[in-house]
Amino acid sequence: MSIIKALKLTHEYIHRDDEGNVDSIETALDGVDLDIAEGDFIAILGHNGSGKSTLAKHMNVILSPSDGTMWVDGKDTKDEEKLWEIRQAAGMVFQNPDNQIIAGIVEEDIGFGPENIGIPTSEIWTRVDNALSAVHMEKYRNHSPNKLSGGQKQRVAIAGVIAMRPKCIILDEPTAMLDPVGRREVIDTITELNKKEGITIILITHYMEEVVNADKVFVMDHGKIVMQGTPRQIFSDIKTLKEHHLDVPQITLLAHELKEAGLNIPDGVLTEEELLHILCQLS
Amino acid sequence: MLRDITIGQYYQADSVIHELDPRVKLLGTFAYVISVFIFRNIPGFVLMTAFIVLCIALSKVPFKYMVKGLKAIVLILVLTGFVNLFLTPGAPVFEWKFIAISKQGIYNTAYMMTRLIYLVIGTSLMTLTTTPTRLTDGMETGLGFLNKIKVPVHEISMMMSIALRFIPILIEEADKIMKAQMARGADFESGNIIKKAKSMVPLLVPLFVSAWRRAGDLAMAMEARCYNGGEGRTRMKPLRYCARDRIAYLILLAYMALMIVLRVLF
Repeated sequence: MSIIKALKLTHEYIHRDDEGNVDSIETALDGVDLDIAEGDFIAILGHNGSGKSTLAKHMNVILSPSDGTMWVDGKDTKDEEKLWEIRQAAGMVFQNPDNQIIAGIVEEDIGFGPENIGIPTSEIWTRVDNALSAVHMEKYRNHSPNKLSGGQKQRVAIAGVIAMRPKCIILDEPTAMLDPVGRREVIDTITELNKKEGITIILITHYMEEVVNADKVFVMDHGKIVMQGTPRQIFSDIKTLKEHHLDVPQITLLAHELKEAGLNIPDGVLTEEELLHILCQLS
Repeated sequence: MLRDITIGQYYQADSVIHELDPRVKLLGTFAYVISVFIFRNIPGFVLMTAFIVLCIALSKVPFKYMVKGLKAIVLILVLTGFVNLFLTPGAPVFEWKFIAISKQGIYNTAYMMTRLIYLVIGTSLMTLTTTPTRLTDGMETGLGFLNKIKVPVHEISMMMSIALRFIPILIEEADKIMKAQMARGADFESGNIIKKAKSMVPLLVPLFVSAWRRAGDLAMAMEARCYNGGEGRTRMKPLRYCARDRIAYLILLAYMALMIVLRVLF
């Protein structure tokens, strides 16, 4: 069953001058068709300005389509009555960890979402406990978010979303402001959530290494989805990726260069172990 | 320099004062502030001091945290002290050229300084022992009756709790911008007051811009988490009075009664 579906989804940012006349129209999404199955780990790639963040904001109804339709969990995002249900089903984690934590104590912040949707007090506590253990932050429940590292803050933000029991979590470049350790923490956390709890993950990123374990990858450019497939399929086509200003993981690039140099290596090698294995068999 | 500001900072500890209902602490602080302004003699001063010292001891917050809060008002202290000392009319007890200090002036200065210091210590004890969320929860529940006369109590308390949460973040950011500007040759230290104020502009403009951006981001994050105003919200930590709070109210009542008696009798 599909959890998120888009049909000819279009979004235009209309810039107006001081008198309110239309100055210019910027098409951020241009007829996007998308179908995401429940329980998948999806990655959306694209360089800056490719429309990937705009797409994410549609999934949480922060933006509403200029044209076309988007369904989240079977509900049309243009239906205002369903707004809160959709936001509950599709939680969102943003880029800057500081700007999305509302409360001054970790557990209170995680309780913020459930409070908003009117969950009874005792149930909020169970949800907060579960969410804390899902992201392995039990030790920090009474800490101030200001004293946590970037990766930990982002995990708190993820826990805040989990406490609302969403079917899918959309992460808009959650690792862009983190150091390598923090990035690892966040990616491990969401991978575990996907595998153990079966939550659909939609990860928007421009770090190629984070995409390797995804079930499906979408590549966006100029507001359109230009490539889609498994990571292996996507990274096999280095030429097209370069055309859309994207890199491939270093190890894939190395394998590709070796192949160009005449070694018998297949396309789309994703991990070090894989390349090592292939090289050992060669000799 | 900027990191020293402790107003609105929470100090984590396990104490009776920390566990008190925020409504008790709010009302208590309010009563204490009143008592600070009605005292006018030594017994009153002793009682006032004993009360706050007891509270600080119970709260397990290190005393140096209170003093840190005082640093922020040193200038105001000195200024009020100066004005009261030299500009209060009355029979002079000390005269030198055009400077005259009256007995009344000395009294006024002493009162004013003690009042200001105790005011800051009293209120920082409250913010140090109460998380911003509990504090605003207390305000929201305690002042809920104002809703009837169309005061948006929930919105105001939400704004306050967010403001409190962002104080340390903005301070850190100001520090960062300051260092970045200093690395490029900006001078925040030298010159007279006007020059110093002018040199703050390149600090304030980027800070202001970033505060706007943060506000936008936060509003979006709150909406994404289904925030829809105060209506229909439940509480993770609802406020309920327990025995401890009733005892605290009694102590508070006794304290206020004594303070009033001391003022009237002596």
